[in-house]
Order: sequence, then structure tokens, then C-alpha cells
Amino acid sequence: MRLNRLDLLRYGRFKGAEIAFPKRAEGVPDVTVIFGPNEAGKSTAFNGFLELLFGFKSGAHPYAFRFDRSDLVVGAELDLPGRGIMALRRNSKRTQSLLDANDRPVSEAILSGALHGLTRDRFEERFSLNEKGLREGGERIAGAQGDLGQLLHAGLSGLTGMAQTLDALAERADKFHKKRGRGTVLKTVGDRLKEIGRELRADRLTTERERNLRHERDRTAAEFEAADVELRQAHQRQAASKAAEVWYDRTEEIGKLTEALVDFPAGPDLPPSAAERVAGIVEKISAQTMRIEEAEEETVKQDQIISDNPVDKLTQPLTAELERLDALAIDGAPLIGRASTARADLARRSEDQEKLSSQIDSVLRLLQVPDAPVSTVALEASVLEDLAAAVQECLTANLSADAAREAVETARAQQGEALTEPQDLTALRAAFDVWRAVADISAFEAGQGQALALLTKATAGLPRSWKDLVAAGLPAPETLNEVARNSATLTADLASAGNDLDARAAELAEARAVLSTHEAAPDAVDVVTTEETRRQRDMVWQLHRGDLTIETADQFEVAMYADDGARAHYLSGAEARQRLLAAQGQVRTAAARHEIAKSHYDDLITQRDRLAGRCSRLALALGLEEDTIPSAFSARQKALTTAAEAAADLSNAEEALKVRLTHQEAARDALTDAARPLGIGPAQGDLPTQVQRALTLEESDRKAWAKWQEGKKTIAKLYDKSNQCRTDCETIQGKLDRLTAALPLLDRTPEGIRAALPHLRSLHQLYDEHQKLSARIEALEQAIAALAEGAQRLARIMDDPENEIDIDPIQVIDRARSRVMLATRADEKRAEAMLRRDKTESLKSRAETERQAGNEDLNDCFTEQGGQDLVPRDRVAKLVERDRLRADKATAGHDRQKARDGVDADLFAEELDRMPDATRAAELEQALKDAQDSRDTARDAQREAARLYREAFEAADRSDLATEQATLFEEMRSGARQAAVARLGVLAARGALRRLAAERRSGMLRDVEEAFVTMTTPAWTSVDVWSQAEGEKLVGIQPDGSTVPVEQMSTGTMGQLYFALRLAGYRSFARELGPLPMILDDIMETFDDTRARAALQLCGEIGANGQAILFTHHAHLVELARDCIKGVAIVNMPD
Amino acid sequence: MRLLVSADIHLGSPIRSVALRNPDLGDRLKQASRDTFSKIIDLAISEQVDALVLAGDIFDNGYPDLKSRAFLIAQLSRASEAGVPTVLIRGNHDALLDHRAHGDLGPNIHLLHKGAPTVEIGDAAFHGLSFDAAHVAKSFLPDYPRPAPGKRNVGLMHTSLDGAPGHDPYAPCTERELMAHGFDLWCLGHIHAPFERVDGPVLAVMPGIPQPRHFGERNGGTVTLVSLGEGAPEFERRVIGHLGFSECSLDLSTCSDQQEVLRSLRDVLLSAQVPGRGMAVRLHVTSDRHGMELVTELAAEVLDSIDGVSLDKVKCAPPPRKLGAETEDLVRLMQDELVEDGFRQAALQQLEELRLALPSEIMDELDEDGLDALLEEAIAEVSLTLHAGTS
Repeated sequence: MRLNRLDLLRYGRFKGAEIAFPKRAEGVPDVTVIFGPNEAGKSTAFNGFLELLFGFKSGAHPYAFRFDRSDLVVGAELDLPGRGIMALRRNSKRTQSLLDANDRPVSEAILSGALHGLTRDRFEERFSLNEKGLREGGERIAGAQGDLGQLLHAGLSGLTGMAQTLDALAERADKFHKKRGRGTVLKTVGDRLKEIGRELRADRLTTERERNLRHERDRTAAEFEAADVELRQAHQRQAASKAAEVWYDRTEEIGKLTEALVDFPAGPDLPPSAAERVAGIVEKISAQTMRIEEAEEETVKQDQIISDNPVDKLTQPLTAELERLDALAIDGAPLIGRASTARADLARRSEDQEKLSSQIDSVLRLLQVPDAPVSTVALEASVLEDLAAAVQECLTANLSADAAREAVETARAQQGEALTEPQDLTALRAAFDVWRAVADISAFEAGQGQALALLTKATAGLPRSWKDLVAAGLPAPETLNEVARNSATLTADLASAGNDLDARAAELAEARAVLSTHEAAPDAVDVVTTEETRRQRDMVWQLHRGDLTIETADQFEVAMYADDGARAHYLSGAEARQRLLAAQGQVRTAAARHEIAKSHYDDLITQRDRLAGRCSRLALALGLEEDTIPSAFSARQKALTTAAEAAADLSNAEEALKVRLTHQEAARDALTDAARPLGIGPAQGDLPTQVQRALTLEESDRKAWAKWQEGKKTIAKLYDKSNQCRTDCETIQGKLDRLTAALPLLDRTPEGIRAALPHLRSLHQLYDEHQKLSARIEALEQAIAALAEGAQRLARIMDDPENEIDIDPIQVIDRARSRVMLATRADEKRAEAMLRRDKTESLKSRAETERQAGNEDLNDCFTEQGGQDLVPRDRVAKLVERDRLRADKATAGHDRQKARDGVDADLFAEELDRMPDATRAAELEQALKDAQDSRDTARDAQREAARLYREAFEAADRSDLATEQATLFEEMRSGARQAAVARLGVLAARGALRRLAAERRSGMLRDVEEAFVTMTTPAWTSVDVWSQAEGEKLVGIQPDGSTVPVEQMSTGTMGQLYFALRLAGYRSFARELGPLPMILDDIMETFDDTRARAALQLCGEIGANGQAILFTHHAHLVELARDCIKGVAIVNMPD
Repeated sequence: MRLLVSADIHLGSPIRSVALRNPDLGDRLKQASRDTFSKIIDLAISEQVDALVLAGDIFDNGYPDLKSRAFLIAQLSRASEAGVPTVLIRGNHDALLDHRAHGDLGPNIHLLHKGAPTVEIGDAAFHGLSFDAAHVAKSFLPDYPRPAPGKRNVGLMHTSLDGAPGHDPYAPCTERELMAHGFDLWCLGHIHAPFERVDGPVLAVMPGIPQPRHFGERNGGTVTLVSLGEGAPEFERRVIGHLGFSECSLDLSTCSDQQEVLRSLRDVLLSAQVPGRGMAVRLHVTSDRHGMELVTELAAEVLDSIDGVSLDKVKCAPPPRKLGAETEDLVRLMQDELVEDGFRQAALQQLEELRLALPSEIMDELDEDGLDALLEEAIAEVSLTLHAGTS
């Protein structure tokens, strides 16, 4: 790859700027020095070149200050292997950002192929160097502590992080485990595992632990049993002691009671409550005696009352007659009560009757029938109501009939003249709708015009036979894309393979040359040659011994010297032979690589030929020349497809217009046919206009017709209603006639009846009251006669004189009632006195019986008892006292015996022997307390042991610890394996690095030494490698033979050594894959002129095979470049 | 007659996976073996089986705790009270089942041994032998009783059969001899991956470990229901374990950015979900840029939003393809280095140093026999690390 021109179109401060890199003349190094002061944009230009090659970095852009990031564009003209010169551009889009000169996206493969798959970082590492990189590279060499393989490899490939990577791996292993390491994973996790193990062991209920717990539980249970027995014995002795004490006390008490009982009467113990019983009996006898005396006094008093109230014999007949009079009634009330007012009431009722008759006559006159019997005019209340209702209905029916008749007449007057029915326009409307839908054809005409224009535009750049090409069938876009992609890839691969083949051929030639050189070296002789020279010498010696001539002597001399020389060379040529062997190996390796590259190149040639044939066929199918490049296929295929689509669109548009015209004609004919029956035709003007007018008026005509029909129906309904009212009127009039047929009234029309109704209602009321009053007067007269008859009977019973009856019957009746009442009172008093007398006699008899029974009970109470000389109360008191003493004695005996019950007999006997003993109780209490304490202690121990045993089974399972333990073991397994992998990996990698260094040492060292010595001569003459225990170290050798390790060199010298390593790396890459532009940014600031000159010459060597670009702001370096590099191009930074 | 067959419960033996470093998961699964055994009892009761058969290794020698025995008795008593008797034998991990040392297990729990090799339940006779030694080199089969006439005969045996990878030989016995003994059904234990063998009317069932404890037991997690009818016994496996193990392969070498890596991880981890059961996943990742630690961190981040899936382990390997010229040379030279005697000696020395520093329980991880595999991993690791560091 070569950079011909860098276009800073919109980038940083630049707009439309370009930096040209003039092409070298034949035999002139391709070196360009870009000169510009500080801030001239050298870094901007370098960054723009990188972004052109690899795309814009994401995120905020450091050079997007004049233009937005989205507007940034860089470009370049590149000479690409296998592609030739290409102008490319790059914008900041995420995809399809690489463009050609016409801003069309192109494949990234164009650049990635030329860059041999390098990433941006690796490209920067390999093909650019600035002052900072130079300084840090030198420091890296010094700080790398002598791993030459790594150093050389770093210089060669840029893998400067390899040592750090391996260190990181080793560190990872050390983190897991390191001898005597304190914070390692293994130590930390191991400590935790030990802790978990201890906890688990302590927690685990093993057989042995269970056995121990069980033994402890059983032992404490046995101890508890023993202590419990002791406690029980202490309790028994204390009980025995208490019993003995009771026994002793009660025995003394019994003796005293026996002595006291001697002075009391003999006899058995009284029954319980005997004293109370005797007192009760004595009290009872006294009370019964008092009752007998009171009964005798009461009997005398009642006999006197009986004699004071004798029997009256007239009471019964008087009572019977009074009851008969009380039973008589008038109007539902007792006759006696009404008789006193009947006479006065009778006169008043007769006057009221006369007044009513007079009022009835007045009403009959008002009705104009004074002579008619009142019973024929006075109507019942229900008849009167029916008559009033019939009159009202009759009047209402007459009014309704009149109103209905008037409504019919009004409706007929409003209806007006009859209308004509409108015609049906449905068919005409449908035909008109169809015609209107197809009336407009302007859109179709416009569509046809547009399609024609598009076709013309689409076929503008196509050959005349484009239709034939389309008809023959176009290749698929995928096929074309695949061919284009394959072609581009193949071209890039071919160029790469060509370069590779050249490099391999050069490498083979170089290896062969080296081999020839080594083979030509005299000290490269091998053992076969020495044997051959020895055999030759011996053979000539034999010949010489036989002939002994000067000629044979000379031959022998030559052979002898040759043999001696060969042997001398052989003895001193071990190193040369090694070099020869290495050279032979390199030739074999180079030959094999050349063969592989050649084979790969041939394969690609075959593929290219095959692809070219396929491209030719596709080009012809697309109407292109046979040798058209595949990248043009896609555009032509797209143009042909577009043209075909445009032609199809035009055909469709023409066909659509034609169809629309046909439809329009048919619709017009149908409209004419539909309008003809209605009298509308083309002769009367524009047909559609006429039709539209007729359709518009249709709606209003149809509404007027419907309204007239509706009025007609309404009149018919009103007429029917009028007839119905008349019929109802006649029916109601008939009903009224039937109701008034019997009435002797002069006017029986509805209005006459309505006027007579109030008088008829008044007559009905007066007539009813008159009837009720007549019945009442008759009842009063009957009551007065019955009362007089009763009074006469009572007077006869009581022997009263006859004439008194005429004076007042009521007084006779009252006198009779008074006599009956007095007789009844006397009967009651007499009966009560007799009852009380009988009751008193009965009480007296019972009291006498009770007193006799009391005397007998008293004698029973004292049966077999002494003390007969005492009154009952004193006697029983004495006996009760005797019995109390006897009971005390029995209780003491019982207590004494009870205290002994349940007490151990032996212990009791022992304790009784000790009685009396005042301290014995306290002594035994202390012994009991001691036994209790011992038992409690044993019980607690037994419970604790039982609890521990039980809880050992019930304890929470420490599965959390077991799980953590297992997990930690898993982690440790994994960690151990990773640590082992890391350690073994580092071990293998370090060994491999040493091998790599050994493989590449000779060629690399030579290149490094050549570049380093060129720059630093005469201060340094060589570069060598020291092997040390910790690895290998690069050293510089000075003219006096002294060696200086890298870390002891000056910073500038270290930088130059690093520059030498990078140049060697560049050479190696260029040799294998082909050159890329090498960009150096002011790296010679710290070089003196001599070394700068040398460095510039080395740049010239880069330019001999590749392209070197140097940025600088030092004018003297520009001048030095002019002096040192033949034909160097000097370019100023653009403004 | 229906039987629920299980074996190799290993009560108290924890799950061994780094996934349990997650506190929630660790807490949930810390009693996984016990919880799974409770589920077995629940299943036996809900299915109303006629007997529960346990073919040895109820306990685990590594966790000898009488609390486990108390737990076993409580659970089997629960089954017994629900009308499900248990028939069991000892395995090579069942010192806690020694009836002479610890007594009987309880009513309706029948431990078969030389003194009582047979028990009849319904119309079936169960035969089994329990041996005391942890390692038995000879076959138990000749000591088994002959089939009881007129009964369906069920044998219980703890055996490695003809041998099984990952399992110590224990009471080896050929399958052919076993099936020819005359029993209708063999309920076996010792091998943790389940399988069944059918030979005419005879069925042999290895129910597998009901709760897998590590990735190597990922085929377990089952019990087997057997129906003993008129014809050949029928069987049905049931998944029972709380946590399963699975492995997934994932190629991240084509992922261009971290978002794509996260998406790929999410897809593959979602595919590992099993409804109603937790899964610990071992990821085999192919990548030339992503190391194990990074992938582990990213996977943990993804798993925050995926229920029921945990990470057991991540293994990374570079793709077997394009390496840079330098790295390629380095790998080639490393492989050359491996065959050097001096290198091998140095490698063994480093390995031994590390091995001796490990607790004895895991020393086998770095056995000398595994050196070649470790070296292969080492080359892959260096290649991956260098490539990641230079790309």
C-alpha cells in the first residue's frame, strides 16, 4: 500500500485541504518529510489517515470543533496492491462509511485486505512512532529485566504486554496459593474450613457422643433415685416422731377424763340433740294447755250470735216476684228503669210526629203532586242514586255527540282537493349513480402520462435491446453481489498471495545464498569429507609407496595437506557446522513455505479464471461488454429492473384508461333507457342535468302525497267516533225512562228530573223519620201497663191495702226489695257464727291429743337414765355434760390411734421410747431439709442430663455449615485447578518464549545490530545477548569490547535501540506481507546530528522497499533529510 | 401392588456446587437431601403405595450424625401411620442403620439383614441382605433366599453390578445372574444415575440418587414407581429433587460487543429453565476474548433476572482456529515444550507443591494422572489470555 494523497475535506481545522506524497522516481527512496510548525495540524493529519483506514472511533470526537462530528470527512488516494490507485473517503457513520470518489459506499474488504487484517491499535504499534513511544519503548526494554525473547518479540510484533499477561497469570495463581502467603485464597478458605470442621464435629451427634450422653443421663437418674429414697426415709422418721408425740399426749388426757365421769348419772349416751328435744317437748305441752282454755271461751260467744238472728218466711215469694219484674224489658232496657220516664216521653214524641207530617205535605206541594200518596213519591236511597247517575250520563252523552259532529265538519273543511300519486324513480337513480361513478377519467389520463414519462427516463441509458434482455431473464441480485464480492476478495487475496509468493521466493533465495556461503566456508567440512580425504590420502600413500616417484610424492603431499586441512577445519568447525545445519534447516523451511505460497497463488489464479468466465456470461446477460468489471453489474441489473417495472406500469395505465372509457359509454346508455319512461330524453337538453333535477324534486312530491292520504284517514276516524256518541246517547236515555216510569211527576225529561232530585232526596229523609217515631210511641204505651200489674202482685204478698196500688207502683216495689235485703243479712250472720263454733271445738280436741303425746315423748327421752329426782330441764343438762366428757375421751383415743396409722412400727417404737423429748422435732426437721436438698440437686442433674440427651437429637441440623463446607471445597477445587493451569501455562509459555527467541534470534539480532550500529557508530560496535539465570539480556558492545546492559544505557541510546528493534520488526513484516506506510512523528529531537543523519538514512532504507513519512517541525532536520536521502520529497503542511 | 423405589438418599450430604454461594439458594437448599426425602414420603402417601422400598445408602459416611437417624425414623413413622410400610437394606454408607448398635427403627419399618432376610407384605415377599463392610468384593447374590412360592418376589440389593464409572465396586454381580435368580423385581442401589433393565417378566430398577449433589450426578433426581400386577412389572420414573444440574455450550467468539454477549448468555440460561425445579448450569464457553472470570460475572448479572437457574461453573476455551502468527508460534512452541523431560519434571514439581498445600479432601483434584489434561487446559488458557490481551 502507498499513500499518494491525504484529503482533509472537513476535519479538524481543515476544510478542503490536501497533503500530496509525490511518487518516487525509479531507484529513489520513497520518503516524504512533512514540515510544519507546532499546531500546524500534523497530529490531525495523522489521526485523519488512521480514521480513513479504520473508521471513526465512537464517542466524542477530538477534531469535531469546526465541523460537527456527523459532517467530518477525510479522503485519500491510495495505491493498493492488486487494485491500483483508488480514491476513497470516510465519513463518521457507523455503517457504510467508506465511500468512493462519488460518495458511493464501497466494501471495507478493499482496505482490510490491503492492511492484512491489522487492527487500528496494532497498526499504530507497528507502523507509527513518535517521541513519546520512542522514550517509553526504551524504558520498556530497560525494565523488562532481561527476557530477550520477549524483547525481540515485542520489537517484532508489538506484543509488549506479553510479560505482563504472563505475570498476571502467575499473580492469579499466587492469589490462590503462595508459599508462606497469608492472604491467599487457600489460606483464607482453609481457615474457614477448619473452623467449620470444628463446629460440625462439635455439633455432630456421633454414636460415641450419644453413648456418653446416654450414660450421663442414666447415671444421674440412678443418683436421683437414691436421693429420693433417702428423702422418703427422712419423711417417715419425722412422721413416726410426730405420731409418738401425739400418742404420749393423748394417753395422759384419757386418764383425766375417766376420773371426771365417776360423778355423773349412769345410763347410755343420749342420742344426738337430746337436750334440744327435751326442751321442745316441755315447751309443746305448755302451749297445748293454753289453747284448750281459749277454745272454751270462743264457743260461748258464737252461741249468742246465733240466737240474735232468726229466719223470715216471706223472703222467698217476694224475691221471686221481684226477679220477674227485673226480667221485663222495653227497647232492650229494663222495664223498671224506663217506667219512671215513660209518661213524659210519650207526650213529647207525639208532638214530633205531627211536625214531620206537616213537612212531608210541603215537599209534595213543591213537586206539584199534593194529592199523591207519599209512599209513591218517596224513593229508596239507592234508587235515588241510580236516578242521579242516569241523569248525569244522559247529559254528558249529549255533549260528546255534539263535539264529535263538530270535529268531522272542521276536518272536512281543512282537507282540500285530492292530489295525483308521484312515479317510482328507483331505476333512474341507480342508473344515474352508475354513470356518475365513471364520469371522470382525468386521473387515468394523468396516470398514463406519468407512466410514459417514467419509462422514457428509465430507458434513457439502456441499449435498444433492453426489452430482449429483460425477456431473456436477468440474473438475481444475490448472484451479482456474490460475484462482485468474490471478485473483490479474490483480487485482494491474489495480490496478497502474489506478494507472499515474492517474499517467500526472496526468503528462499536468501536462505540458499546463506547456505551456499556456509557450504563454501572451509570449516564447514563434515566427518564424511574428512573420511573421504583420509581415504584419498591413504590411497595416494599406497600408490606412492609402490612407485616412490616425485609425481606420487606431490600427489601424496597434496592429499596429505588436504586431509590435514579437512581435519583441522573439522576440529575447529563445530560452530560452522551448526550454522550450516541451521542454514540447511532454514532452506528447507523456506522451500516449504515457498511451495505452500506457490500452491496458494496457483489456486487463486484458477479461481480467478473460473470467476472471469462467470463474469463474462453475466455481463452479456446484462447487455454489457464481456470485460465489464463485476462492480458495474449491480447498477445495470437495477436499471434494467427499473425499466421493466416502468414499462409494466405504462401498460397497466393504458389498459386502465381504456376500461374506464368503455364503462362510461355503457353507463350513459343505461341512463337514457331509464329516463325515457319518465319523458326525459337528450332532445330536451343535457340528459344527466335533467335526470338530476327530476331526482331532486322526487322527495318533496312524495311527502305532499303522503300527507293528503294521512288527512283522509283522520276524517274517517272522526266520523266513526260521532256515530258512536249518538248511539251511546240513545242507550242512556232509555235507561232514564225506565227509572222514572213509576214516578207521578209531570216533567220527566233529564233536565226536569235533575231539578226534582233535591226535593225527592228531602222527601225520602222526612218519610223515613216519620216511620221510626210511630214505632217508638207504641212501645212506651206497652211498658206503662206492665209495671202497674207487677206492683199489684207484690202488695198482695206483703198484705198491703188494694187502694195504695193506684198511688205509686214504684214505692211498693222498693218496700218489697228492702224487706228481702234485711232477711238475707240475718241469714249470713247466723251461718258464720255456726261455722266458727264448729271450728273452735275441733281445735280444742286436737290440742288435748297433742298434750298427751308430749307427755309420752318426755318419758321416752329418759328411758334407762338416772336422775329421776330432777326436773326434765336439769336432768337432761346433767346427762349432756356426761356425754361430752365421754366423747372427749373417745376422741383422744381415736387421735392417738390415728397418729400411729401408716407409721413404720419399728420407727414408732423407737421414737415413743424417746418421749418426752423437746429437741427431737427440730433435729428431724433439719435431717429432712438436708435430704430434700440432696434430692433436689440430684433431680436437677437428672433433668439436665435428660435434656441434653433429648436436645442432642432435637438440635437444629447444621446443614448450613455442611453446605458451606461443601461449597468452599468446590470453590477450592476450582481455584486449585485454575491456579495449576495458570502456573503450568506460565511455565510452558516462558519456555516457549525462550524457544521463540532462539528461533528468531539470529536474523533479528543481525537486523537490530545493523540499525543500532548505523545510528550510534562509532560509540557502539555491536549488540549481543547475555544468558543469565533469570533469562537473557540484551547488551551493547563498545569499541573497546566492553559490554553495557540496556538499563545502564542513556535514555537516548535506549530510544535508539528501541528504534532499531522497531525497524527490524518493520523489515520482517514487509518481507512477509508487503510494505505499509511507516509514519514517524518528530522522533529525532533528542538525536544529535550524526545520529539523526544515520536515522534518516535508515528511513531511506525503509523507503527503498516501502513508504516512509516523517513529520517534523525542525527546519534543520529537513535540511539533514535533503542531504541524507536522495530525492526525498519535502512537503509543507497546508494552511 | 404398587411400590415406590428409591435408594442412595445420602441424608445430610450437602449439594456441592459453587452455585450455593448465593445466600438465598444456599439457605433454600442447605437441607436438600432431607427435604427431598420428605417429598419421597409425601409421594408414597399421596400415591397410596403398598410399600416404600429403599435399596441402601440412606445415610452418608461422611456425615455420621444420629440426628439423621432420628429424622429417618420420624419420616418412616409418618409413612407407617399413613399405612405405608417401608422395606430397606443397608448400603456401604449406612453404619447408622446397624440395628445391633442402635436398635429397631419402629413398627412397619423392615430392615432386611442376614438374620431376617425376608418379610411378606400382602402377596409379595421382599428379600434383602445388609452387609456391614464399606467395601465388599464378592457378590451377595448366592446368599439371597430362594423365591417364595406363590408370592411375587422382590429383591433389594446394593450393588455396583458389572461396574459403573465414578462408583466404587461394591458387591459386584452380573446382570445376567441377577435376572436369572427367580425374583420378579430387583430394587437396586449404589449407582446414582437411574436405569431400568427388563428381561422377560423380570424387571430391575436402579432409581438413582433422588437429589443430585454435584454436576457428576446430573442424571439423577428421580424415584421410580413400580406396579406389580399379573404380567411383567411396569415402572414409571418421577422427578423428585429440588435442584438439578445441566450443562450448556455457548459460542461467544462471534459476539461483537458486550451487549451481544449478554444476550447470548441470557438466551442459553433461559433455555436451561425447568418449570418447578431449580437448575445449576455448567457453561462451556468458546471465546477468544472472554475469560472465565468475565463470563462468570456477566452470567451472574444475567441470572439476577432469571428465576430458577443458577451458575454451577464456567469453563472457557478458545476456538480451534485463527490465531495470530505470533500466538500460533507460541502455542506450537508450548506444545513442543511439553514433551521435554525437564519441563515435565518441573511441571510435576509445581503440581505437587500445590497439591500438598490443599486439604486432604480435595488433593485428588491435582493428581499426577491429570497432568496432561491440566497442561492442555494451560495452553488453552495462555492462548486465550494472550489473545484477549492483544486484540
